[in-house]
Amino acid sequence: MANETQKVFDTGQPVLSIDGLNVSYPVYGEDPVQAVRDLDLHIQPGEIVGLVGESGSGKTTLARSVMGLLVQPGRVDTGTIQFDGKDLRALPEKQLRAVRGKDIAMVIPNPRSELDPLVTVGRQISNVARAHLGIKRDEADQMAMDMLNAVQIPDPDRRFKAYPHELSGGMAQRVVMAISLVCSPKFVISDDATSGLDVTVQAQVLDLLRALVRSHNTAMLFITRDIGITAHFCDRVAVIYAGEIVEIAPMQSFFENPMHPYSVMLLAAFAHNPTLRAKWHKPLASAAPAHGGACAYAGRCVHAEDHCRQNSAELRELAPGHLVRCHFPVERPL
Amino acid sequence: MSSVLDVSGLVKHFPIAGQRAVVQAVNDISFHVKKGETLSLVGESGSGKTTVGRCVLGLIQQTAGVIDFQGETIGKRRNVRSRDLRGKMALVFQEPAESLDPRVRVADTIGEPLRSRGVSRENRRRRIAEIAKRVGLSDATLDQFPAELSAGQQQRVGIARAIVTDPELIVLDEPTSALDPTARAEIIDLLIRLQKEFDTAYLFISHDLSTVRYLSHRVAVMYLGMIVEQGTANEIFSNPRHPYSVGLLSSVLLPNPKLKREVSVDLTGEIPSPIDLPKGCYLAGRCPFATDQCHKEMPPIEDLGNGHLVQCHHFREALKGHEALDYFDEFQAQTEQLLEAGRRSTGTVAGQTK
Repeated sequence: MANETQKVFDTGQPVLSIDGLNVSYPVYGEDPVQAVRDLDLHIQPGEIVGLVGESGSGKTTLARSVMGLLVQPGRVDTGTIQFDGKDLRALPEKQLRAVRGKDIAMVIPNPRSELDPLVTVGRQISNVARAHLGIKRDEADQMAMDMLNAVQIPDPDRRFKAYPHELSGGMAQRVVMAISLVCSPKFVISDDATSGLDVTVQAQVLDLLRALVRSHNTAMLFITRDIGITAHFCDRVAVIYAGEIVEIAPMQSFFENPMHPYSVMLLAAFAHNPTLRAKWHKPLASAAPAHGGACAYAGRCVHAEDHCRQNSAELRELAPGHLVRCHFPVERPL
Repeated sequence: MSSVLDVSGLVKHFPIAGQRAVVQAVNDISFHVKKGETLSLVGESGSGKTTVGRCVLGLIQQTAGVIDFQGETIGKRRNVRSRDLRGKMALVFQEPAESLDPRVRVADTIGEPLRSRGVSRENRRRRIAEIAKRVGLSDATLDQFPAELSAGQQQRVGIARAIVTDPELIVLDEPTSALDPTARAEIIDLLIRLQKEFDTAYLFISHDLSTVRYLSHRVAVMYLGMIVEQGTANEIFSNPRHPYSVGLLSSVLLPNPKLKREVSVDLTGEIPSPIDLPKGCYLAGRCPFATDQCHKEMPPIEDLGNGHLVQCHHFREALKGHEALDYFDEFQAQTEQLLEAGRRSTGTVAGQTK
């Protein structure tokens, strides 16, 4: 990873503001499943925010809500999503389509299923540019070629005319990145985009993505299950559990002083130390997160007390920019 | 200690329809696994790890080479399907959900290997209950269907099915890569505990190096169907001699921003096609230390002692001064320090601020 000191982002006008977002999936004959609850997230221009959570924690639902691409029957119940001064939820579909892919782009995992198998990769990139920028095919093709160069695909002249099946996984992922970035978006959502890649290729792709995003001052929400990536790639880290952000902090602060028991447990899981993990995690706790009048993590938290089971926890700022949703946050001697 | 599994000169080529060329998935590799030991095969996708696992079980027929399981040769006639070997070798799959029959209850899935060996219903029931307890599945779970379980629990079922016959060797093909970190850590602990209890040998196939570091006794690094380096886990992680091993190790991103790895070996580009393998060393096209010799001749296997084998022309000088810090050990030490020091605060309850 590029050796870069931590950037500090001012608290000016965020490029994306999510406030009080609630998303649920109705279930026939039962209460709806609340996938995202009361979520606030503000991302500054040029900032890379890592969103870490386990499967089912609401990461993808959040990303799709922002894009207006929530899978049926999911629905946004309340909350606002402001992008660049516009309320995305209030935009009619036609205008939303103009924003999507141009100002906000998404990189999804599994690049092969994202690409059209019958269209050459160069055309797939230039089609996006033509649709959004209203330019001629020649010009768009030139932009596509430039993008293939920018994502460092070897032999771009030949790859331009290649079909997706002719590419390796790493190269297909680069093409998807090129499609996302061709219109110089202001904001990119990457949903577990590197999880299918080998470690060596992943490191290369991440370095590249970071360099491209930095050079255009693009903001990014980087969704991942791998907390390791966030330590080397992101400016801020947010941990999501059961649809709630339980801890959000500048990257250095997060790794120097993780305060939520769940964050601590995620780190302990990486250290492969059973005694340490046992200190922070109930094994096999499958207790469904209880909401409403209780801390959602109480069922899995080793240190939960009656207080935790009876009172929901609020996000509190315990260090500059470091917010934690816990009644009894972890402390360490300085 | 005797070897449970002895593989020498294993070659596996897959034919391509309508062409004379073959996919050279595995090219002349040798290794052994001792009783109660874990050997990990690590490498990028397409390096032939899974093919080796399948050859070992006899699920596919090797092109050349000898595979000995407890002194007997595994091949077309004698393999995991043979009646007397059934239950002595087992396989745990990568995708827990896909490797379980969705319409079979957990208890029956676990009991299937016993049934095929003719164990009576009563004995099966007892054994299933015992194994379920060992792998941490509740009695209620046994009556459920796979779809009702979490991915971690599904993998526990997969493991239970593998150990129910008390096998000598289990091939674990990326058993944790589909799991969340917390579930992964639990499964790894379970595997280690079971190995101690049953003294089983594991052939652990993975690309997750931090897991490999934690659970392996020995490690073999694969690249394009070859084992480029093998040795004890300590040796490989603290003193890697092959440029590819170093490159692979330095690509791992540990959750600690202070442990920024120095990119001493930049493996640019991607793995070449196994259909059209380069002459000479397969890594030459990606290796920063490659010389003319590397492009012309396949390097010999050098023995560095203590079972540490490396296949590189320049292993002596290329990584000189790279007596690498074992990042995984360092990470573990730092994380332990950080997390041990942490304790739950007592005074700060919601409403009060610090």
